[in-house]
Amino acid sequence: MKKRIVAFVLAATMGLSMVACGSSSDSGSKSTSSGSASAGDSELVDGKFAETKHITVEVYDRGNDGGTDPTDNMYTDYIKKGMLEDHNVEVEFVSVPRWTETEEINNLLASGGAPDICLTYSYPTIQTYANMGGVLDMKPMLDQYGSELTNLNDWLGDTNIYWDLDDEKGTLWAIEGKRANNRRINTFMRKDWLDKLGLEEPKTKEEFYNCICAFRDNAKELLGKDADKMVPFSVSFDVGWRAALLIESEMDPKITDKEFYINGFDDRKLTQKGTKEAMKTLNKWYNEGLLWKDFALYTAGDSTEDDMMKAGYVGAFQHNWDYPFRSGDDSIQANLKRIVGEDAKYVAVDCFENSEGKTLKYVDSTAGDRKIFFPSTNDEPLASLLYLDWISAPEHIKYLQIGDEGVTHNVLEDGAIECIAATGDAIMNSGNNIDYTITCNGLSLGDEDLTLLSMAHSYPSCDPADVQQALDYAATNNKIAKNVKVPEIVAENGMGEALGAKRDVVFDTALAAKEKDFDKVWDSGIEDYLASGAQAIMDERTEKFEARYGDSKSVE
Amino acid sequence: MKVIAAGNSAVAVAEKTNWKAYLKRYWQLYLLLLLPMVYLLVFKYVPMKYVLIAFKKYSIVQKVGEMPWADNHGFQYFIQAFHNRDFLNALRNTISLNLLDLVIGFPIPIIFALILNELNIKWFKKSIQTIAYMPHFLSWVIIYGLAIQLFAPSNGLVNMFITKLGGETVPFLNDPGKWVGTYIFLGIWQSFGWNSIIYLAAIAGISPELYEAASVDGAGRFRKMWHITLPGIKGTIVVLLIMALGNILGSAFDRPFALQNNLVMQNAEVISTFVYKNGIKGLQFSLTTAVGLFQSVVGVFFLLFANWLSRRLGERGIW
Repeated sequence: MKKRIVAFVLAATMGLSMVACGSSSDSGSKSTSSGSASAGDSELVDGKFAETKHITVEVYDRGNDGGTDPTDNMYTDYIKKGMLEDHNVEVEFVSVPRWTETEEINNLLASGGAPDICLTYSYPTIQTYANMGGVLDMKPMLDQYGSELTNLNDWLGDTNIYWDLDDEKGTLWAIEGKRANNRRINTFMRKDWLDKLGLEEPKTKEEFYNCICAFRDNAKELLGKDADKMVPFSVSFDVGWRAALLIESEMDPKITDKEFYINGFDDRKLTQKGTKEAMKTLNKWYNEGLLWKDFALYTAGDSTEDDMMKAGYVGAFQHNWDYPFRSGDDSIQANLKRIVGEDAKYVAVDCFENSEGKTLKYVDSTAGDRKIFFPSTNDEPLASLLYLDWISAPEHIKYLQIGDEGVTHNVLEDGAIECIAATGDAIMNSGNNIDYTITCNGLSLGDEDLTLLSMAHSYPSCDPADVQQALDYAATNNKIAKNVKVPEIVAENGMGEALGAKRDVVFDTALAAKEKDFDKVWDSGIEDYLASGAQAIMDERTEKFEARYGDSKSVE
Repeated sequence: MKVIAAGNSAVAVAEKTNWKAYLKRYWQLYLLLLLPMVYLLVFKYVPMKYVLIAFKKYSIVQKVGEMPWADNHGFQYFIQAFHNRDFLNALRNTISLNLLDLVIGFPIPIIFALILNELNIKWFKKSIQTIAYMPHFLSWVIIYGLAIQLFAPSNGLVNMFITKLGGETVPFLNDPGKWVGTYIFLGIWQSFGWNSIIYLAAIAGISPELYEAASVDGAGRFRKMWHITLPGIKGTIVVLLIMALGNILGSAFDRPFALQNNLVMQNAEVISTFVYKNGIKGLQFSLTTAVGLFQSVVGVFFLLFANWLSRRLGERGIW
């Protein structure tokens, strides 16, 4: 009897699961039959579809305090209205949390619910999905419709459109959004503290070290009863980024394209020669009490460190070239002024010189920033391309970046655009709305002179002179990345996240090691990192570089 | 689990009588049972089909049936997992953290229940109990927030106290060894009150006559505890121990994930966080499904073994 019941339950299980299989395969087949790119130009009349099309577009949700709904505000309305009028395409935005974008997009792709237009900073993610057949090849589409996409062509150019083109297979899985300016990282320091202690802005690594030592030694004078909260030089999660200028200063200025490329899978330069030296310095500073002891306890997206900067406990740090000026009234700079006092502010300094005595900075080219791709569930590739074209039109970029006069910007006497802190629906969730201008990262007003003139004024609530200094330093001694055209590196497949996490462990543990243990911790960390797949990547990169460029160590 | 157990015992009785008549008489109860059964089928059994991913080359656009088989007769990803240093490390950590949890964490709710049971002032007992099980309702993210406030090296309350007394800061959260202690401590703190409820219920079910008889015979508190209370809840203890053993390779995700940081990763990476990082973030779905399957299979063996052992020792198992 008992057996019979068990048998019945099992049979019922199977029956039910068959039903479930059946239904899931239905939805599966729908998504695979979507390669309907063959519908020709005839669909378009004067760039407009006869029938209204519907596309979904990814937008980052940065979750900022007092921001607007990223899928529904003044700017999304502008885009929706424009696309409907110009191309008869309905646009719907899908928000994805900025700090967990990779995971989120993975889930959306795996469940077949990804937006028609996706963007990510991670090319390996796109490559992995492309290998599974989850991404549309843009090459044939661009061949067919390219001539109509004048704005896109004018703005991105072949460099960015075909940056990721596979020379051998002829496939193009993504196009690269353009970095409107390639400034990358700056070092910032509390100007008022330097003044108080009678110190000059540092010009060399040694002077920088002396400054942060002076901050530490004079904590009582600078912070009073909060002296124990002082962090002279703050480095937190993602050490490779937050100490990038120190690391780059230890690299060989004469590094060849080949060596740079072979060690280039990790953009935090973990295996580049010189990184160990830099980390040794940082480790020494940590053990001398110059760094933040709790740095490892907070992860990406945590605002504790920002709050410490706003409250005025942090003496110096390295970050995005405009970091303390970002987000208007809520920027670090504005908060500092409010909380600490009128004269409290960060200024950019340029002091990490390399063996040639130059403050060389490794910056990206116009590409290598956000990548835009269409998942295979995209039924409207043409409408999606038209969207990219529309969003790349200079006048649309300009409006999205500066908004309305008197609301989000003023025009100054010399014609420069000055951004002002907006309220309500006009608040931009990202600086200059870069989350909407997906083909453009950084201010671009259509006229280069005007853009340059306006850049210093594009940070509301911040002194343009401070911004100008940061702009200038970040543009000094830049070394621009080159595009190495080799086929897909198979060993990189799916390794991005695992190796990235491992890299952070190596950086963090080495940074926090006891000074006498540093070599041991660093070497065993690197050994583990290499054994976990990095060595295989480097070997394959070497092989493919040599296959493409022969004995030459340069890509030119 | 309990639903099935209840169902089984009902079935056993039904065998003796005419089961059709039985069904007719108690159809409402069976109807009630139907809902959890459907839940189990839909959410626990149907998804099992996707276990196949462990033996196939995963693709987001293909159906499970269409995906090509993995190399080495489908075992490519199992081989890969056991060559993966991070997986082996995660496996080691999972076992050692769970064992520590078991050895240290398992007896505490029992002891707590025994102590609570001896309290005579009702309101005091009730409030202690409530306070003790409250942390169960906190999410691990919040507990980590509390832990940082208390244990952070530079401005955690405990460390400030220690330094004020002239001591050195203790790296509770950022030294791999100390972290394990903190992890176990927080786990116990969060769950001992809640876990003691089931023992308290079992204790409440012991006949008061036994205690009265023992008192007449002159037994003191500890005698009664040892000879009446503990044997009275032995069955409950064994069942919970079996369940705990079945979970020795299992790992909750939120606790290690919320508590871990880069400095302690060598001890803090467990299978669930490994799967999250490599599978969901790193897109290696086949590899991580293989790991998950391995984890479950070993868990089942542990469960069966513990159950067999408890039956051999003369206790009731879980079925």
